[in-house]
Amino acid sequence: MSNRSAKIYFDPYLFFSLFTLSVLGLFFLYSASNADTSIVLKQSVYIFLGFAIMIAVSQADPDVFRRTSLVFIIFSVLLLGITFLFGPEINGAQRWVRLGPFSFQSSELLKLALPIFLANFLFDKRLPIQSREIVISLAVIFIAFILVARQPDLGTGLIVALSGLFVLFLSGLSWSFMGGAFIVLIICSPLIWNVLLQPFQQQRIATLFNPESDPFGAGWNIIQSKIAIGSGGIFGKGFGEGSQTQLNFLPETKTDFIFSVIGEEFGFFGVVILLSIYFFVLMRCLYLALNARDRFCRLVIGGLTLTFAANLIINLCMVVGLLPVVGMPLPFISRGGSSLISLFFAFGIITSMGTHKKFLPQ
Amino acid sequence: MIFEERQIEKNNFSSRAIFLFAIVGVSFLAVLFQVFALQVSSYTSYELAALNNKNYAIPIQPLRGEILDRKGRAIVRNEPTFDLITQPDLITQPELFLGLIKPVIYLSEAEEDRYLKKFKEKAFVNKELVLKKNLTPEEIARFNVRSFNFENAFIGKRHRRISDYPQIFAHVLGYTSRSNNQHDLSMEIPRSHWVDAELTYANGLIQGKTGLEETYNQHLSGTHGTRVHEINSRGRLVKTLEYYPPKKGLDLHTHLDIKAQISAANALGDRKGAVVAIDLKSGGINVLYSAPTYSVNKLSNGMSVEEFQDLIKDPDKPFFNRALQGRYPPASTIKPAIGMFGLTNKFINWSEEIDDPGFFTLPENGRIYRGWKKGGHNNVNLKKALMVSSNTYFFKLAYQSDMKDLASYFSSLGFGSSVCRDCYDEDSVFVPSPEWKYKNFNVPWFTGDTVNIGVGQGYLVATPMQLANYISILANKGNLPEPALVKVEKQSLDSNKSQKISLSNQDWVKMHDALTAVIESDFGTARSIRNLKDFQVAGKSGTAELVSLDSKEAYLEVRDTELLRDHSIIVAFGPMPNPQYAVSVVIENGESGGAVAGPVAIEVLKSLLNE
Repeated sequence: MSNRSAKIYFDPYLFFSLFTLSVLGLFFLYSASNADTSIVLKQSVYIFLGFAIMIAVSQADPDVFRRTSLVFIIFSVLLLGITFLFGPEINGAQRWVRLGPFSFQSSELLKLALPIFLANFLFDKRLPIQSREIVISLAVIFIAFILVARQPDLGTGLIVALSGLFVLFLSGLSWSFMGGAFIVLIICSPLIWNVLLQPFQQQRIATLFNPESDPFGAGWNIIQSKIAIGSGGIFGKGFGEGSQTQLNFLPETKTDFIFSVIGEEFGFFGVVILLSIYFFVLMRCLYLALNARDRFCRLVIGGLTLTFAANLIINLCMVVGLLPVVGMPLPFISRGGSSLISLFFAFGIITSMGTHKKFLPQ
Repeated sequence: MIFEERQIEKNNFSSRAIFLFAIVGVSFLAVLFQVFALQVSSYTSYELAALNNKNYAIPIQPLRGEILDRKGRAIVRNEPTFDLITQPDLITQPELFLGLIKPVIYLSEAEEDRYLKKFKEKAFVNKELVLKKNLTPEEIARFNVRSFNFENAFIGKRHRRISDYPQIFAHVLGYTSRSNNQHDLSMEIPRSHWVDAELTYANGLIQGKTGLEETYNQHLSGTHGTRVHEINSRGRLVKTLEYYPPKKGLDLHTHLDIKAQISAANALGDRKGAVVAIDLKSGGINVLYSAPTYSVNKLSNGMSVEEFQDLIKDPDKPFFNRALQGRYPPASTIKPAIGMFGLTNKFINWSEEIDDPGFFTLPENGRIYRGWKKGGHNNVNLKKALMVSSNTYFFKLAYQSDMKDLASYFSSLGFGSSVCRDCYDEDSVFVPSPEWKYKNFNVPWFTGDTVNIGVGQGYLVATPMQLANYISILANKGNLPEPALVKVEKQSLDSNKSQKISLSNQDWVKMHDALTAVIESDFGTARSIRNLKDFQVAGKSGTAELVSLDSKEAYLEVRDTELLRDHSIIVAFGPMPNPQYAVSVVIENGESGGAVAGPVAIEVLKSLLNE
């Protein structure tokens, strides 16, 4: 027993690749913020804190998360409620809750709590999943989505919904059910467009297909981002030399569009390296999921990793002009404490689930 | 769960996880493909787009060339002027700044208001803003000793277009003014950038609007320089990337003569009229003066609205260039032309005499055309007719002429067309003819119309420029390089020279002799001016009647009204027998031609010959 208590649960591949990403992120942020060291300093504090949280969280046994999953999701929902009631309104949206000196984007927690809760709900159910479980799961997912989307934050709402749907899918949702749902979705899409989407969201989608139609309005961001990336060429303009970035033609360089900064200053070469690191992280997580000790761990690792991947891909597709503009940071690189902390928390859980092995009866 | 079931679940999970991760992988490839498309395939166009975003090219205004007279003396030059220029970007509180600068530089309320109004916009984009134009030497001195207090302001050198002879050269020079479409479109600078041009002139992007400044605007303008700024997304200037200096415009070498122009102006005094003098060898125009005039400096560099309105409303029309646009009956000055026409067509010869009883009776209807001298000049031949200015002789000669032939003869002498190669807005007037009359008045031509034209009255009118051109052709014995204000290369001079009319050399000598006698003989009509000079001059004076009256007595009544008085005209050339210059003078309402316009012509000739 003493042997076990001394063990530190730690995945070197994940740890070092995330470390590389975060450190590279600091350099990118330095350039993106026009050499504002205070921003970089603040971000490095968050990264340091993040790693501490990740290591701490990964020491906990997966069962701890399983047992506390209900409490966790209730806490997250309560936090969302508090945000809804008391949170300050910033740019027409209530997304933040203050905890002492820190502001926290409350929807971040739900991205973690929902997949864990569903994994706990589904891991011991027989295959294939019965319609009762499907209905309950979908209801929970829908409620979580509505809570976030009402803030309003459609982007995060979709990510939250996806995080639940991934778990539902991985736990064995029948293909015929998904096929049916897909057809219903297609049929309902005009309804979604007209009823659910607000005019500015419709505008963003319209802009995607023809950014030049509104070069100084909604299209500006996409156009400038494409110019920044495109003008980077193969090897980029050099660190701190990107004119689109340094002269502020590129919007939101520190957050949503930081990938464009990288594209402009480090070129195709830099992009390939960055994407390789992300891809390596994802593959490592897939490996951990496939080799996890039980179904609960598999579902959680799969759900959290795919949520992370969805987040990443949506951001990438947005800045290169393949998806409409939605507020979505580039994980581990974009400025922002909430998203960093929750990412490290998620990877802490993934490490925990991937490294804790079951006692085999001897 | 039993082991078997667990294995099924695990396989199920694995296949689904791999399926989702495969989608993730495909998405990665899609992103990578798109980035490749942007950065490698379309690199050139995006690189250009990025450059267009940040590079902001602005033109730098060049200095205009100077306008010089025939001796190389400046008629118009660029005078430095000093403006107080501020950098709003470095000023945090404009009101406080104005408070500090006011003891140093005098500021009117309007100047303060204008400054505060434009301040914010200029500060936002890091552009300069002129606080005060045209500083006095005292203000410059006061500012210079305190300049360490004002790191956000400096004295900038600008120029004004200044003539030292703003009145007398006003019409021929023309004025410059700020132009809203002064965009050199050959430059790769977008139209919208021109508002930010670096100025060399206090008045901004100026352009010639009239006169030589307009005609030779291209020549004088020079080439704009370029400064490429780096700007940020708000349009704020960050730094200079490239700089190409402007090229000063070329100087304009004219035939004008400052001294001769001054003597023309002085001789004319405050009378209305025009003087044109031509260098017979080159066709160069040495004098082109119109009175009354105005200050071209004021017009170019800012004139008050009241002052401008006064000039516009002035009944004497100072803006009207009488030398190029004034239409005057040539009166007796046309007689040499009629005489040459008669010689060419063999209607007359030098010896043939006619009787001049003082009037001519039109055979068709008995209408009487009177001469200026009651009782007439008895027997007159062509020389005497010119010398004493016999109307009867030329009435009769005109009566013999076919108007169509006469009209084409006038045309070959330059009447009815613009004769100056490079004058601004020259009136070509017209040559009267039966067709012309029918078109304009819908009445046929009468023989009496031709008779009137024989003494330069009736429908015949001409500008002082055309009169000068005509007398120059006569002085040069039929040929003349095209009159022009600006000197051209030597080679092209000869090709310009063309025979306008031909006459035997004997006839030319006799014609010059007769016209010399007009001034130099005891009986010449313009003999009153013969003692004003020490060289011989040929010429012909004229008195253009504004009202047609049958008797001298009737005229004495109308002359009380100044505006109805006759115009005094002279065309002259000299020195004889080898003339170098020809001149035409018109003095409105000046009455008797020889005595009034004559001295002006003499002064101009003297001045030109003394150079």
